[in-house]
Amino acid sequence: MMVLSFAVNSSTLFPFEGITLAHYGATFADSGLMSSLATSMAVATVSAIIATVLGVLASMALARYEFPYRELYRTLGILPMIIPGVIFGIAMLIYFRTLLGVVPGFWTIVLTHSVYGLPFVLLIVTSRMYTFDESLEEAARDLGADPVETFVDVTFPVLAPAIGAGFLFAWIRSFEDFIRAFFVRGTANVLTTSMFSMIKYGTAPKMNAISTFIVFVVAVLLAVAMNAGDVTSYVADGDGE
Amino acid sequence: MNESSESGWRSSVPSRADLMAAFATRRRRLGITAGPALIWLALLLAAPLTFMVTVSFVSVDQSYQIVWEPTTANYAALFAGDTPLLQRAFVKSLLLSYAIAAVTTILCLVLAFPLAYLLARKGGRTFKVVIFLVLLPFFTMYLVRAYSWYLMFGPSGVINATLLRIGIVNSPIGLFNYGVSAIIVGLTHAYFPYMLLTLYASLDGLDYSLVEAARDLGASRSETLRDVILPLTLPGIISGSLFVFVPALGAFVTPEFLGQGKVLMIGQLIKDRISSLYAVGYGSAASMFIVVSIVIAFVVAFRYVSIEDLGGV
Repeated sequence: MMVLSFAVNSSTLFPFEGITLAHYGATFADSGLMSSLATSMAVATVSAIIATVLGVLASMALARYEFPYRELYRTLGILPMIIPGVIFGIAMLIYFRTLLGVVPGFWTIVLTHSVYGLPFVLLIVTSRMYTFDESLEEAARDLGADPVETFVDVTFPVLAPAIGAGFLFAWIRSFEDFIRAFFVRGTANVLTTSMFSMIKYGTAPKMNAISTFIVFVVAVLLAVAMNAGDVTSYVADGDGE
Repeated sequence: MNESSESGWRSSVPSRADLMAAFATRRRRLGITAGPALIWLALLLAAPLTFMVTVSFVSVDQSYQIVWEPTTANYAALFAGDTPLLQRAFVKSLLLSYAIAAVTTILCLVLAFPLAYLLARKGGRTFKVVIFLVLLPFFTMYLVRAYSWYLMFGPSGVINATLLRIGIVNSPIGLFNYGVSAIIVGLTHAYFPYMLLTLYASLDGLDYSLVEAARDLGASRSETLRDVILPLTLPGIISGSLFVFVPALGAFVTPEFLGQGKVLMIGQLIKDRISSLYAVGYGSAASMFIVVSIVIAFVVAFRYVSIEDLGGV
C-alpha cells in the first residue's frame, strides 16, 4: 500500500513527460476553476466554524454530564460521518428541494457540510476532554476564580489544540467532499465538482496539474503539522476519520 | 462590571454577571451545551432522513408533486422487470455492491493487520514515516486519489503501459482493465487508512505481556494469534471493518471512475436515478435498502463493541 501511495503521486506526473509549466499556467488562469476553488474554501470555512461551535458545546455536554438519551445523542452526532455520501446527499437534496422548497446553492452546501463535519469535531474534542484533568479546574475554583475565569484561563487553553484540530478536520473534510456537495449544490460549483466535470469531459492536463498541486500542498502541510503538533495521536486515538 | 447602561453595542454584550447567571443551573448548562447541536441535527439530519423514509412510501405524479398516499409502489418498482430476479438492475447492483464491499473489507483487514501490529510494536521513527505515507493519500482529496487510479488502470493506463514498455506482456492484461477488480483495488486503497488507524489504536492498547505469557506457556505463533491477540483486538477489527464496509457499500466516485460504465454499484444507481430523473421515490426506496443494511451491520457490530470503542466519544 505504501508503494502504491507513492505510485499515486507519480501517476499524475506521467503525462508530464516533457516537463512544462504551461499546464500549471493554464490551470491557474482558468477563472472558472479558481472561482470554484474560492467557493470551496468559503464553504469549508463557514461550515467548519458552525461544526466546531456546535461540536465543542456538544462535547462539553457529552463529556461532563449524565443526561437521558445520552447514548442516542452521541449516536446521532456520529451518524453524519457514517452515512454514505450518496444517501446523505440525496436525503438533503430531497429535503431542501421538495420539502422546504429551497433552491440548492451555496448555503445548502454549507448547511450540509456543517452537519457532515460535526462528528469529526465531536470525536476529537470529546476524546481530549476525557483525558482532561478536572482537578485543574477545581484548583482554580479553590483559588477563587469564578466559573467564567476558570473557563477562559484553565479549560479553554487546554482544549484549544483539540478544538483547532477539530476545526481543521472539519475544514478538510468539507473541502475534499464531492458526492454530498454534488447533490446539494444547485448551480454553485465547488472545486471537487469542477474537477469531476473535468475528468468526465477529459481536460487531462489541467486535472493533472491541480491534482499534483493538491498532493504537494497536502504533503507539505502534513509534514509541518506532524512535526509541530501531535497530529498522530488525534488521528490514531480519535479514530481518524 | 455591569455596564449595561452604556451606549449601543456595549449594552448588548453580556456582562460577567449575565454569563454567570446563564450558566447558573445545571439544566441551563445542559441546555446551552447540548441544545444547539441537538436542534441543528434534528433539523438537518433527523428531519431529512425521516423525510426520505416517508418519500420512499409515497408516489410522485406527472407534475412532480408528491401524492401523499402511502404506497409500496416504489419498492415494487425496484424489483420490477422481465428478467429473472437476480438479473434485474437493482438486485444485481445491490448484490454486487455487497460483494465488492465485503471483499474490500477483508482485503483491508488482511493487509492492515500485520502493518498495524508492526507499527504498534516498533513505534519511533519508522512509525512516523509510515504514518506519513499512510496519511498522505488519506488527506489528499478522495477525488484526486480516484483519479490517480483511473490513470493507472485501463488498457492504456500507466500499469499496462509500463508493462508493455518493459516487455513483460505483449498486450494489455485484462486484470488491469477497468472493472470489478480495479474497483476493489481502488476501494481498498481508499479505505485502507481507516482500517489501519483503527487497528493500530486497538493494537496499541494491547498488553503485550499477555502475548509473552502465552509464548512462555508454550503456545505457537499461530495459537497465540488465534487465542490471545485476535480476541483482544476484536473490537478494533469490528470497528475497522465497519468503517470500511459501510462507505464501500455506498461508494460512488471510485466505481464510476474505475468501472467505466461496465460496473454499476448501488451508489451509482441511486445517483443516476436522482440526478438525471429526480426519481425521488425510486431513489429513496433504494436508499432505504442501504440504510437498513447499515443499521443491521451496526447492530451486529454492537454485539462485540460498545460505542466507546468506536471512537472514544
